[in-house]
Amino acid sequence: MEGALHPMRLKQLLHFAAFPKLNKTHFIFRNTRSFSTTRCASSPAVAGARNRRPSSSQTSTSDREAIRAIRIKKVEELRSKGLDAYAYTWQRTHAANQLQEIYRDLGNGEEAVCESDRVSIAGRIVARRAFGKLAFLTLRDESGTIQLYCEKEMLLSDQFEHLKTLVDIGDILGAEGSIKRTEKGELSVCVTSFSILTKSLLPLPDKYHGLTDIDKRYRQRYIDMIANPEVADVFRKRAKIISEIRKTVESAGFIEVETPVLQGAAGGAEARPFITYHNSLGQDLYLRIATELHLKRMLVGGFEKVYEIGRIFRNEGLSTRHNPEFTTIEMYEAYTDYESMMNMAEEIVTRSALAVNGKLIIDYQGVEISLERPWRRETMHNLVKEATGIDFAKFEDLTAAKEVALQMLNAGGDNQNKSSIEACPSVGHVLNEVFELVVEPKLLQPTFVLDYPLEVSPLAKPHRRHAGLTERFELFVCGREMANAFSELTDPLDQRERLEDQVRQHKKKNAALVSEDKSKKVDGDDDAYDVNLDEDFLTALEYGMPPASGMGIGIDRLVMLLTNSVSIRDVIAFPVLKTPRV
Amino acid sequence: MASAKPKGHAKKTAAAAEDEGMDPTQYFENRLRALAAQKEAGSNPYPHKFEAQLSIPEYVKKYENLSSGEHLEDVEVRIAGRIMNKRSSSSKLFFYDLHGGGAKVQVMTDERTSELEGEEFTRFHSSVKRGDIVGIVGFPGKSKRGELSIFPKTFIVLSHCLHMMPRQKVTPGGGAENTKTTDVWIPGTGRNPESYILKDQETRYRQRYLDLMLNMEVREIFRTRSKIISYIRHFLDERDFLEVETPMMNMIAGGAAARPFVTHHNDLNLKLFMRIAPELYLKELVVGGLDRVYEIGKQFRNEGIDLTHNPEFTTCEFYMAFADYNDLMRLTEDMLSGMVKELTGGYIIKYHANGLDQDPIEIDFTPPFRRIDMIDELEKIAKLNIPKDLSSEETNKYLVDACAKFEIKCPPPQTTTRLLDKLVGHFLEETCVNPAFIINHPEIMSPLAKWHRSKPGLTERFELFINKHEVCNAYTELNDPVVQRQRFADQLKDRQSGDDEAMALDETFCTALEYGLPPTGGWGLGIDRFAMLLTDSQNIKEVLLFPAMKPLEDLNKESNKKTQDGPLAQERNTVQPNWDRGSMKNGRRHKI
Repeated sequence: MEGALHPMRLKQLLHFAAFPKLNKTHFIFRNTRSFSTTRCASSPAVAGARNRRPSSSQTSTSDREAIRAIRIKKVEELRSKGLDAYAYTWQRTHAANQLQEIYRDLGNGEEAVCESDRVSIAGRIVARRAFGKLAFLTLRDESGTIQLYCEKEMLLSDQFEHLKTLVDIGDILGAEGSIKRTEKGELSVCVTSFSILTKSLLPLPDKYHGLTDIDKRYRQRYIDMIANPEVADVFRKRAKIISEIRKTVESAGFIEVETPVLQGAAGGAEARPFITYHNSLGQDLYLRIATELHLKRMLVGGFEKVYEIGRIFRNEGLSTRHNPEFTTIEMYEAYTDYESMMNMAEEIVTRSALAVNGKLIIDYQGVEISLERPWRRETMHNLVKEATGIDFAKFEDLTAAKEVALQMLNAGGDNQNKSSIEACPSVGHVLNEVFELVVEPKLLQPTFVLDYPLEVSPLAKPHRRHAGLTERFELFVCGREMANAFSELTDPLDQRERLEDQVRQHKKKNAALVSEDKSKKVDGDDDAYDVNLDEDFLTALEYGMPPASGMGIGIDRLVMLLTNSVSIRDVIAFPVLKTPRV
Repeated sequence: MASAKPKGHAKKTAAAAEDEGMDPTQYFENRLRALAAQKEAGSNPYPHKFEAQLSIPEYVKKYENLSSGEHLEDVEVRIAGRIMNKRSSSSKLFFYDLHGGGAKVQVMTDERTSELEGEEFTRFHSSVKRGDIVGIVGFPGKSKRGELSIFPKTFIVLSHCLHMMPRQKVTPGGGAENTKTTDVWIPGTGRNPESYILKDQETRYRQRYLDLMLNMEVREIFRTRSKIISYIRHFLDERDFLEVETPMMNMIAGGAAARPFVTHHNDLNLKLFMRIAPELYLKELVVGGLDRVYEIGKQFRNEGIDLTHNPEFTTCEFYMAFADYNDLMRLTEDMLSGMVKELTGGYIIKYHANGLDQDPIEIDFTPPFRRIDMIDELEKIAKLNIPKDLSSEETNKYLVDACAKFEIKCPPPQTTTRLLDKLVGHFLEETCVNPAFIINHPEIMSPLAKWHRSKPGLTERFELFINKHEVCNAYTELNDPVVQRQRFADQLKDRQSGDDEAMALDETFCTALEYGLPPTGGWGLGIDRFAMLLTDSQNIKEVLLFPAMKPLEDLNKESNKKTQDGPLAQERNTVQPNWDRGSMKNGRRHKI
């Protein structure tokens, strides 16, 4: 990116785009657009001739249509000259960045003229300046950018004319030539021949047709990526992180398996599932909300270290941290407990951080985070005590616990919090609620929160020393949950009781919601959803599952952290948006 | 192995036989009572952790070279696993087979080396059941007959098997317990599920954990599957491809060629469709400048379940800018032959293509693969002279007649695409046992492939066939948006009715093309199908850990009707898998 001049302009542009509420900026864009239109559309008569698409951008349909019509004409012109506007293939010798690297020491005004300095490159034209017999084009490929130096004299026959009349910004070009650095210091390919590989029909967002529509950045991710190469970097890092996670767990002997997305009962978490219907089975199916229960079946089957990286689906609202489908890794290891999963979590996160950032001190939205090991390990009880002075271990009585919690929260005064405390069915729930309200947001540096109450951990093994608690931890970084792990519950009777209890609690909540619905007429078809027991899973446990630990890590959130991305939408290539993607 | 077996018949009895023939419900209740008693006595029947120092394969590797009768009494080892067999030769001596990680070791439990004594020892070991998961601290050694064993000091039950484990029926002359485990199955060799300890397909697929516990080969099937995917990933990573994830849920149904699953997002009050293919998104990323992308993931089609179809299945698709279908054929050869070589040790695999009762056929992956020019070869083999304009009425009529002549059935609608597909299936695909590319499909069969650079009416497309079935589909991508629109419009004519959603999708896709897709080669592979080949599986359920199954209630209804055949009878009787059942195999919008 270093050598690139023009993309800077785009970067600035997107900087504006990030603040769509600045109406003034909008206004300026709009005013200038008419200028651009007259510049581009030399035959406005064609405008609007093909008015078949709904326009999703602010660029008016007629502008786009006019440009499109002109460019389709150019395609025809190319064909009439026996040239192909859509080539089949192109042999490249180098990527742009490779050239920048190889010729780093080439001085200003110097040329490299050996036979080996003849190169062939391909990419998209993102900027262009033309003077009488000279034209400069900026070509961008996946690795970076390089300038094309086009001199009429050096090009074959009428290629220079083609360049001026038939090539537009946005076209994908293949070019051959030698290497030189201009007097101004720009490394360039001195083009001796070029060929249009793909003619683009629509104008790229540029200074005039800026990407002011935030939604459009996600909706048409390819435009976002063309306009702003940094966007693609996030996805490169995402791939690297996932690859590093795989390497980490595979070097520890874990094997990857695939468990079903479509299930007869959605278990392993408490979340509203998506429901679909299989026609030929004549059966409702649920989209998985976790991979846990099937991976545990693998432990029963004799696999001792398994993992799955895959998509999870939850029928919940959108936010900067929530997309209806997201990616997790879940892993299970026989004959270990949650202590060893803490080490694994540290290993996975630090190795991923080093793979993409090369260091363990990272910046997340202005907060400096140190991922240096070891990370703090503290029980939930102690963290709550530390933050509030309340020792929930003392409470046996639910009402007393609620009273104290409410007293403490009242200092802040928030009705929502109040009702969520009041709804708690057990001391454990109260503790958890206070933890979430008071402690969670403050856990900026990586912290393992240990020993969750039994009532909120239906799949975790009871703590070997502390009654009422489980051997469970969650990892928090920047106030966000990154991982959740336990010593797995292996006792099938205990498991059955706890899941049945969960179903009971859930039904109670549903019933409450339904009656509330009647009185208040809350909108939406239903907030209630069914939770079913996964009987097959319970049967599997009855065949005996070895003592084991298991962990789930939210990969999207990890990528957000390691790429300093503020929204989950920045790390998912095609996030779900509130309005349809057409 | 033989040494593990107690000498006389009489000795084999005690512990093992005590539960034999007991009613399963009774057995389960007994075990529950034993557990309750243990809890009552204040001990935890499910310990939190047992530190296993070595896995069983590691243990075997480390000590397999001991000589017969050698005991390393000074060494303390900790291992854990599941007991798959139990014998006693006296109240002071119990033998167990301990399984884990695909290997097994004998546990020779002698009262003299145990921490427990006398009555206590006997009582404890009488309570240990086949199927229990145990941790053992002891020393390594070999029996006098050379069987690698562990001699426990401490023996802890870590988890209990509350159900009676299925066991192999003792066949005449083969007192075989669970002992036929030493021959490790290797990918690419034949497999015989008929010889499994647990044979019942319903149980194997519904309770895969039992299948994995009892049938040692099954574990290797899934390891092979995992290795196939790893190999592909590694192969593409090495060539600078970027792995990406595109949505599995879309607001627009993914094209008209397959029926999608529909679901509903409550909060957005939005209808969503499960993807049937990632193709469009991946090409959009190439438009966006990611020159080489791939995705390995699930696709979903709301279709019937049979020997080769599961509602969710795994594919790999990749897109490579500046490459064409010739490049991709070479890549395909490199990838698949390299994979077969690495996983099986050679280029030739064995596959029971004609049922388990016939000899397996050989499939040779030695590159290069044969290339069959579709129309030319069809004309040559069937002695046809198909009119050049494939979209004409004349051609349609010609092909109707051709099918009639060869008695090839083509149910309506008898479109040119479908007629050609039938003829190609009959004359060409049937010849493709070893991997072979059928190339240069007509434009009317391939709406997303680019027109051939030198053969009018054809496209630059290939399908790879192995054992007569399609495994890969790839083409030089059509990137001319004007031509693409025309193709979509033409295809609409073939459809019974206009489909608004499919058209909306087409429009999104064409818009992306208008921003310019570089010359690109795109490729798709059905991973389940390929895994079937390397694991000698004739049923896709063999390579899916948890295949979709009919609800049990339905089965009960059915089995009342046809008790004799059993629920899977239909599948079992169909020897030749019906791979290409879809009427839209060609003309479809998706790679696989």
